[in-house]
Amino acid sequence: MIVKRFGGAIALAVTFLAAVAALRYASVHGFIGEDVATRVVQVIVGLGLAAYANVMPKNVRGPRRSAEAETRAQAAQRVGGWSMTLAGLAHAGLWAFAPLPFASPASMAVVASALVLTLGYAVWCFTLRRRPGRPDGA
Amino acid sequence: MNRVFKALADPTRRKVLELLRVRPMTAGELCEHFPVSKPTMSAHFNVLREADLVDARKQGTTITYRIKLSVLEDALLGFAQTFGFGSDAQPATDPASAASKGPTP
Repeated sequence: MIVKRFGGAIALAVTFLAAVAALRYASVHGFIGEDVATRVVQVIVGLGLAAYANVMPKNVRGPRRSAEAETRAQAAQRVGGWSMTLAGLAHAGLWAFAPLPFASPASMAVVASALVLTLGYAVWCFTLRRRPGRPDGA
Repeated sequence: MNRVFKALADPTRRKVLELLRVRPMTAGELCEHFPVSKPTMSAHFNVLREADLVDARKQGTTITYRIKLSVLEDALLGFAQTFGFGSDAQPATDPASAASKGPTP
């Protein structure tokens, strides 16, 4: 159960750390420039975020108290999945192609905006969108 | 991934996913939207469940279906709806009978 749940995450973390170590080694020994190593690491981070966010709407939890709560949870997961996946891809794209002084603030702004959208929509779904007089929690 | 493409190739199954995008529905509610028999719809639901595109939860005699699409699968569904691949088939085909016919030349 634990292996099934965390196995993929651990494999991804090991792959990520190995890639960073290899890039560091290549950078120190002059095989690649320091900028290239930074860009590649950030592209991997962006793609990792996109990969994780891609499966976010697929994580269906146990039954909720009402059909209305199910609908809201589904909508929040979809919006969160889409926004974080697109943000991850944008992060990777910016670090791959944009000038370095621009890539850093722009990628942070994109990911932060997606996070705000995800959390904001979830809060809206579970508080403001709830119809008055319907005691259906998530 | 092959199962996902197979599931998305049928217009009826795509319509089921479109309906489930709005909200989770029971099997009965979904069947009301299609002019086909319940066993036929049940076969469609099985294909979707095997492709892991829907989640089925049984409560007593009622089965509630919830959509279970990743972002990539969601994009594929939108792409299939827009460009209508597999739309040459009838909107409500029986997957069981289609499978028994085998590939056409």
